[in-house]
Amino acid sequence: MKDLLLASYPFPAIVGQEDLKLSLLLNAVNPRVEGVLIRGEKGTAKSTAVRGLAALLPEIEVPEGCLFSLSPEEAARSCPGCRLCDGQRPVMKRPVQVINLPLNATEDRVAGGIDFEETVRRGERTFLPGLLALAHRGILYVDEVNLLDDHLVDSVLSAVASGINTVEREGISFSHPARFILVGTMNPEEGELRPQFLDRFGLCVEVKAEEDRAARVLTMERREAFDADPAAFFADFEDQMRQLRERLIMARQVLAKVTISGRLRVLIGELCAEANVAGHRADLVMEQAARALAALSDRTEVEEGDILRVAPLVLRHRQREAQPPPPASQKEHEHDHSRDQDQPQEEKDQQAHENPEQESSQGSSSQPRERGNDNSGESSGKGTDENREPETPVNPDALEKVFEVGVTFKVKPFTAQKDRVFRRGSGRRSRSRINGLQGRYVKSTLPRGTHDVALDATLRAAAPFQGQRKSACAIAIEPQDIREKIRERRIGNFLLFVVDASGSMGARARMVATKGAIMSLLLDAYQKRDKVAMISFNKAEARLALPPTSSIDTAARMLADLPVGGRTPLNAALVKSADVLRGQLVRDPTSRPIVVLITDGRCNVSLGGGKPMEECLVLARRLSQDERLRFIVVDTEEQGLIRFGMATRIAEALEARYVKTEDLRADTLLELVRQ
Amino acid sequence: MTCQTIYPFVAIVGQERMKLALYLNLINPTISGVLIRGEKGTAKSTAVRALADILPKIQVMQGCPFQLAPEDDIELCRECFRQECREKRLGGERINSIQRHIRVVELPVGATEDRVVGTLDLEHAIRKGEKRVEPGLLAAAHRGILYVDEVNLLDDHVVDVLLDAAAMGVNTIEREGVSFAHPARFVLVGTMNPEEGELRPQLLDRFGLSVHVQGIADRKDRVEVMERRVAFDEDPTGFMARWAEESRRLADRIESARRLYPRVVIERDQLFAIADFCLEVGVDGHRGDIIMMKTAKALAAFEGKEKVEENHVEAAAELALPHRLRRRPLMEMGESVKKVREFRQKTE
Repeated sequence: MKDLLLASYPFPAIVGQEDLKLSLLLNAVNPRVEGVLIRGEKGTAKSTAVRGLAALLPEIEVPEGCLFSLSPEEAARSCPGCRLCDGQRPVMKRPVQVINLPLNATEDRVAGGIDFEETVRRGERTFLPGLLALAHRGILYVDEVNLLDDHLVDSVLSAVASGINTVEREGISFSHPARFILVGTMNPEEGELRPQFLDRFGLCVEVKAEEDRAARVLTMERREAFDADPAAFFADFEDQMRQLRERLIMARQVLAKVTISGRLRVLIGELCAEANVAGHRADLVMEQAARALAALSDRTEVEEGDILRVAPLVLRHRQREAQPPPPASQKEHEHDHSRDQDQPQEEKDQQAHENPEQESSQGSSSQPRERGNDNSGESSGKGTDENREPETPVNPDALEKVFEVGVTFKVKPFTAQKDRVFRRGSGRRSRSRINGLQGRYVKSTLPRGTHDVALDATLRAAAPFQGQRKSACAIAIEPQDIREKIRERRIGNFLLFVVDASGSMGARARMVATKGAIMSLLLDAYQKRDKVAMISFNKAEARLALPPTSSIDTAARMLADLPVGGRTPLNAALVKSADVLRGQLVRDPTSRPIVVLITDGRCNVSLGGGKPMEECLVLARRLSQDERLRFIVVDTEEQGLIRFGMATRIAEALEARYVKTEDLRADTLLELVRQ
Repeated sequence: MTCQTIYPFVAIVGQERMKLALYLNLINPTISGVLIRGEKGTAKSTAVRALADILPKIQVMQGCPFQLAPEDDIELCRECFRQECREKRLGGERINSIQRHIRVVELPVGATEDRVVGTLDLEHAIRKGEKRVEPGLLAAAHRGILYVDEVNLLDDHVVDVLLDAAAMGVNTIEREGVSFAHPARFVLVGTMNPEEGELRPQLLDRFGLSVHVQGIADRKDRVEVMERRVAFDEDPTGFMARWAEESRRLADRIESARRLYPRVVIERDQLFAIADFCLEVGVDGHRGDIIMMKTAKALAAFEGKEKVEENHVEAAAELALPHRLRRRPLMEMGESVKKVREFRQKTE
């Protein structure tokens, strides 16, 4: 029945999208291609293609009624033993299955768990295979894979990594083979995948809408014909379907005979090295994909063309200059890529902190400065700051000016880190475990007093003992069986904005753009139902301009009236922040505040009379020690030849995420708080 | 249950675009819904709830929890939990079917995921010791309308589930020990007040059409709104009776448009015009094109015409594209698509 529901629009009827179709076919020919991730904008036949594939898949042999889709050899060797099959069943043929993993799945259905119905009937714990078992030797398909809950991702990942699914829960201990092709679709607008999950997909295709008018018209015509009469439409494509199916069967037979020359293996190695990929999976997948392509073309030898055709599919999500995989808007980031190319990047965080561009510009303008050596760097930085800033008035504290709020934009998502603390509240920013009855049911636990009974888990707990208990109902449940639900949902965070209002910010209308950026963050905070507070600093002091509040309106008004001028008492602001945060954490110990520091980092007022920058870094390091806090430093320093990069160093000391104002935009590359 | 008094749809003053968008979805459900954006108190919810009296009728097998039609594939019933019905059907017998209005199923903002998707039937499990699926709202909404008031306030994880079902036309239940799948194709109707936050783009795209409603500016019409409302509150039954004739006429018109739709022709040139339009204003993917074509055809059918005309295409753009434009951040959604197109043409 599920197959029936899945097979809808015929695969050959999809217009264009050659990469997408090819990568699915390669997987159908050779399971060792290890799946495909389909990334792309909305409405580009992503899901349609995968569902269409189901109708094309070849047949495999399984023992009749095997719940684990074992091959006859596997069954003979190591049948895990289930109630239906004793390893002696006759072998039958059935098509490879596409198993759909829905987003709302619970863990017991994914990994498998106790079958309470059987358990009650037989009086002993009986294992009910989950989706990972059903998908063995088939395809596991996750629509919107980037929205999949973390705990499910973990289950899937561990199965993919080992080829075995091990279940240790609810008093059963069980393992069975689970090797499947992972196919996922995602829309990058909704967030990215964890890097190790990303790497598990053999191929990655980027789909876009057809730009060609004729192709668009053909798409419309076919869709309408399909909607009007699906059966007739299917009949029209029956011939093409049959041909394609035969071609696949042929290719699978040829595959075993396909050879690849040593020279081409070297080519693969070179391509992967050039792309600076991590590990060797790319090499292996590329070879397998090339073999599959050769088999599809009915050749027994891999040609160079095969490799060049599949290489982009294999490397797209593994190339390390581009993290995450290159989006559609590559042009804007071209200069980023070229500049990063010569230096190997270890970690994306590091990449965010270190800013190669500004390093080189500094190197050319003055003596090279060493990062981490605070004294020398700091003093030269401070010196140049005051000399080179012609806009700064002679008596910086004298003038104050109010700038208008610049253009606002949609900011990219940022969240607090996920942990195991249970919270109350609502909102939309970070995922958290939650006390209360709202939220997604992720797993069950022994009672914690929430009275949120997880019925399925309770029944499973009670099932094995039914033989010894008596009751009017079919199932007798006793207090020790009760299990409760653990739920997760998104909640709002506490955001503390620390805004630099010093004279240097007033230069060249920088404050206008900065205010626009803050306003954008505020709008975002409103939609995510966050609580905000704001500290502004200029002249000699930092003041709490806005005490913690949920009223974003107040914050917006305050921002509009924020005057700019004077020196930069960043250190005072950091101390003030610590005060505010301490108060917040006392009031709500489970909250995880996010501090957004918006500054150019040209700190020039010290508290204790020492060098301001030195002092600032010490303060920042101290602040960063509180595990509960997260920091984002928004560098407002202008793009140009002369950059001081002070904000970078403060960000490092704070262990903060470092972004430039323009990186806040939702349409740029990196996501803000990840890990 | 059915004698509840509802403000008649035809008695709603103004808001022609919103009404039109709803008619078009009734004529061709594969347009797949409408998003109604607007301020408070602009008859958004009233309109959707009032749809009941003009809804078309469908054939449904009696008692089928998944709203299947008698001509649906027998395979769909193989795993159904309703034993008698399943055995009859697999045995080749005919099952009684009834004709009823399509349903408007309301998805409350606070709904939990298990109610939406379906879950383990608690009573059956305890009483009989067997697991059985308890169908959720998505099952009830198959072939009907799924209505979400304040859709932008919906919990994220419920939105994910909706996206999943809307994308596949199938609801797959893999939770709490049960494993089941059933068709779930519905017209998604949502209302929202944009002041409360925007929708995720992915969900936005799932709505076929979008309309922006505003309070009526005309003084006379505003008085009319008040008068009708008072008349309805004082004597609901009488008020409904007065409008019954017009309701029926509208229902008939929609019904005949439904029948006419398959015969409506759209010229190749017009398809090219649609493709150009979408390319020029810049929409993601192909859904915009497809929905625009369907909308143009439904418009023609609604006017009783067998050929799509130019003005149908233009009107379709205003309904199908506003929420799909690649917008400048925070750009007002109310802007006319035509203006955007002219603007883009000028700047290029």
